[in-house]
Amino acid sequence: MQVAIRVGRLAQKLGVHRNTITNWINSGKLQATATVGKKYLIDKNLFLIFCREHGISENILQELIEIGPASPTGDDAITPTFHPKPKEVPMSAKPIGSVLVVGGGIAGMQATLDLANSGYYVHLVEKTAGIGGAMAQLDKTFPTNDCAM
Amino acid sequence: MNVNLLTLSEVVDVSGEIGNFSVKVKQHPRYIDMEKCIACGLCAQKCPRKVDDEFNLGLNQRTSAYIKYGQAVPLKYAIDGETCIYLTRGKCKACEKFCPTSAINFEDQEQIIDLQVGAVILSPGFKPFDPSGFDFYGYRKIPDVVTSLEYERLLSSSGPCMGHLVRPSDHKEPRSIAWIQCVGSRSTNRCENGYCSSVCCMYAIKEALVTAEHTSGDGVRQTIFYMDIRSHGKDFDRFYEDAKAKGVRFIKARPHTIEAGKDNCGVTMRYACEDGKIMIENFDLAVLSIGLEPTADGKRLSDLFQLNLNQYRFAKTSDFSPACTNRPGIYVAGAFQTPKAIPRAVTEASSAAQEAATALIHARGDLTRSKTYPAERGIEGQEVRVGVFVCSCGINIAGIINVDEVARYARTLPHVALVENNLFSCSADTQEMMAKKIMEHSLNRIVIAACTPRTHETLFQETLQETGLNPYLVEMANIRNQNAWVHQREPEMATRKAKDQVRMAVAKAALSVPIERTKVSVVPKALVIGGGVAGMQAALSLADQNFQTVLLEKSDQLGGNAWKVNTTDQGEYIRPFLEKLIGRVESHPAIEVLKNARLTSAKGSVGSFTSEIQVNGASRDLTYGVAVLAVGGRETTPAEYLYGEDPRVVTHLELDALMRDDSAGLKKAKTTVFIQCVGSRDERRPYCSRICCTHSVKAAIHLKDLNPQMNVYVLYRDIRTYGEREDLYRKARDLGVIFIHYTPEQKPLVGREGADLTVEVFDPILRLPVSITTDRLVLAAAMEANDSKDLVELYKCAANADGFLNEAHPKLRPVDMAVDGLFVAGLCNYPKPLNETIAQAKAAAARAAVILSQTEMTLDAIKSFVTDKCDGCALCLDVCPYRALTLTDYQAGDGRTHLRMASDKALCKGCGLCSATCPKGGVYVHGFTMDQLRAQVIAALEDVA
Repeated sequence: MQVAIRVGRLAQKLGVHRNTITNWINSGKLQATATVGKKYLIDKNLFLIFCREHGISENILQELIEIGPASPTGDDAITPTFHPKPKEVPMSAKPIGSVLVVGGGIAGMQATLDLANSGYYVHLVEKTAGIGGAMAQLDKTFPTNDCAM
Repeated sequence: MNVNLLTLSEVVDVSGEIGNFSVKVKQHPRYIDMEKCIACGLCAQKCPRKVDDEFNLGLNQRTSAYIKYGQAVPLKYAIDGETCIYLTRGKCKACEKFCPTSAINFEDQEQIIDLQVGAVILSPGFKPFDPSGFDFYGYRKIPDVVTSLEYERLLSSSGPCMGHLVRPSDHKEPRSIAWIQCVGSRSTNRCENGYCSSVCCMYAIKEALVTAEHTSGDGVRQTIFYMDIRSHGKDFDRFYEDAKAKGVRFIKARPHTIEAGKDNCGVTMRYACEDGKIMIENFDLAVLSIGLEPTADGKRLSDLFQLNLNQYRFAKTSDFSPACTNRPGIYVAGAFQTPKAIPRAVTEASSAAQEAATALIHARGDLTRSKTYPAERGIEGQEVRVGVFVCSCGINIAGIINVDEVARYARTLPHVALVENNLFSCSADTQEMMAKKIMEHSLNRIVIAACTPRTHETLFQETLQETGLNPYLVEMANIRNQNAWVHQREPEMATRKAKDQVRMAVAKAALSVPIERTKVSVVPKALVIGGGVAGMQAALSLADQNFQTVLLEKSDQLGGNAWKVNTTDQGEYIRPFLEKLIGRVESHPAIEVLKNARLTSAKGSVGSFTSEIQVNGASRDLTYGVAVLAVGGRETTPAEYLYGEDPRVVTHLELDALMRDDSAGLKKAKTTVFIQCVGSRDERRPYCSRICCTHSVKAAIHLKDLNPQMNVYVLYRDIRTYGEREDLYRKARDLGVIFIHYTPEQKPLVGREGADLTVEVFDPILRLPVSITTDRLVLAAAMEANDSKDLVELYKCAANADGFLNEAHPKLRPVDMAVDGLFVAGLCNYPKPLNETIAQAKAAAARAAVILSQTEMTLDAIKSFVTDKCDGCALCLDVCPYRALTLTDYQAGDGRTHLRMASDKALCKGCGLCSATCPKGGVYVHGFTMDQLRAQVIAALEDVA
């Protein structure tokens, strides 16, 4: 059986961004065919298998059909039923002992130092000419009023 | 050394899977050769092109050749290709003409760099909300309306007004300043940021307090307009109370319009008080407390890496693994995941590092290197030959101080064998030259007259090591920061002072002796104390990194508080997670679980602790390199509101139990009332328990879901549903839950009228007392730490006044403890929800792994040592802040036993308090012995005499 689903509504139900759903569809992870009115046709069984594989409550489909089209404002908050289950990827014979860190703010710097000091080579990629991020712009930090530098 | 820093770069492509990703990084041209640049700043001085300085948010200007800020890393200039006159119009090259090291390279090209990595951590940060779309606040139209980040720059001594606060309109010092909270947060009306940004309340209070330090005289008036004050972190509530005591005015109102004041200076604000009165007030300056938004880079990265984002475009993660994304091997950290303050960003960054390290455990150490030096040569018995290197630091020093004169003078000093003047002593080629001179002239003591040892001593120490000299034979005279920079108007006096500084340094250096760095071998084993989620997670994360771990639990069951809570803040069920976690911990080959166990002694220091443990009455010894303290916390028993007297009055955990076991009973209630802050934020516990607001709101929603007809009231002081928990608060209000604000002066009154349970509270909007007859009263009882006094005593670590174990630094080292080798996680550190507990536990494992992954640790050599003159008077014992000194028996040569102090090199930090206290020269610090200091003082006074 084919059911029609709106990407926005599904995204709202799963608490993810609608582009994420589009990505799933485009990558073939979620099999769906585009139809009129920004709707997608999904085979019910395939969708249920998808739900099971990704730890999504199977009731979602029922809710999507029963509730019908999405309210445009999306006033209800995230329904936290979505548990993205990491795929068990067989790791290549031996992993590479280096890590890429993107962003040289306080978080990126801390992750870099911890890894570099415990046996991993780190490539730290920063967009601007120097690291430090937003914290460097602060005068003092609460609650000790220490200098942010 | 094991970090490849790629600035001006962005990731443009990625492929592969966990363990083996191929990444393409595009590096934009810097136009300045990093190898050659010595950060003298001449290029920026000569550059004629002025553009807005984005670091100071456009409050002032920089040149096209620029450095982000004074302390930037890497400390190298860059040329902004989009504005540079030469690069845009083909003429100028002023910088190239003046650069003393020919570092300018206009031929620099964009490069694509291919990287092979095993894992990726994304931390693109946040974007400060831009309030220019809110016409009613007049930002960018009214000169004296600034954002909080701009205000931060106005206060900063490295900011556009050097820390002398002035307002933009007339450059006068503002006397009354108003902050407006929640600009671009907690709003779905004018923007789409329904979440709370978590940090703005605290930074506004901080700015208000710091303002007093930046203005002249008394009488500056600070007003903060807020909806709820969210000071939900450790010691944050004290900070808030302190601000109130210091006269910062807090008004619960949201000004709806800001207009320019007279002559376009200052602002006029209209706002409605809680009682409905409309107020009009003038301020000299208005600060908009802007929220944190996801960045466009975050969006781009999530598309590139195919990551799930949530509805606000923050990275979507589970409460059980806050750093993991939907793609294995790709982790997130910082504000990209959700808005958060610095300590959480740091903690979660460490937890992301832990995830990456675990994933790549089989490749640990494959690509890292450590530096080796030639064997050290002894200098014993050699004549003292001091080499003095006087640095010009471009014009930084030479522009004020006559360096030639200082160099000439240095040649006349005793022991000096060689004097050189360098343009930049720190540049790579000077280092090579210096090493050569040391060998040629057989120098055995080095004096560098340049900048601060804080930033440069390590560099010079390494140069000495390259030549086989002990690194502690170098002495620095700071003639830049402590001289040239502060005496710019008195060049002659500055030159004289520089001579004094060099003479003192030479006198001290002549007495320097080689000092050996202590090496401690590391026992690759960890002890985790506490078998709750924090302890189990820390143990599991350590064991997954192949470190043997012993887990101590005082009771006979693992799991702790997590058994009593139903769901996480995002609504994920805890029980299945908990059962799985316990299963993994108990079956892990690298974890030894000891139940009914407690620690009775602790000796030693980082790398090698020894403890005695009592397990089921039997005692055994344990040696370990690090320990994680995760002894947990508990819900307190309320002493008010009829708790314990009426069965209808329950606490949060009791409510969770009812939800599990008696849904039908809960559903039958016509009315349920929640009272917040029961035992928190009062005199006895002057802190916020952080988790109760979210729990009440979540429970209220659950009750409304069970029975939409039920009347649900929440009586609160401030609702602190920080971050995306704000969605729950909004949802509860939409479902009809009624929130009534109360003050500690007018707390709700709970009583019984016949069989009825009644709650009376003053409603500030109605201006009337309201009486509610309720079927159930839920008390948000305070959280407190489990007693850790014995651990504090055994490990000589610290807890705060409220009994929570202290971290080494509240911002930058949130999981390390002040005692090296100890880490803290979970409720015993501060109340926190499960996702933060898990992140902290994983972070503790990551920080512990830094120590455990080494076979031996090298400690700094600047440590105290006890001399023959010590007679064991123990005066020094009390002053030592690190408890590094102990009183021991000492067998003298004549066979008699004396008392004498002993210093533990692993605990000592070389602060010198003992040495300053000792009346008899019984204890000194290496590198700062009495002889050396005396020689320095005599040298200082020579000129006076």
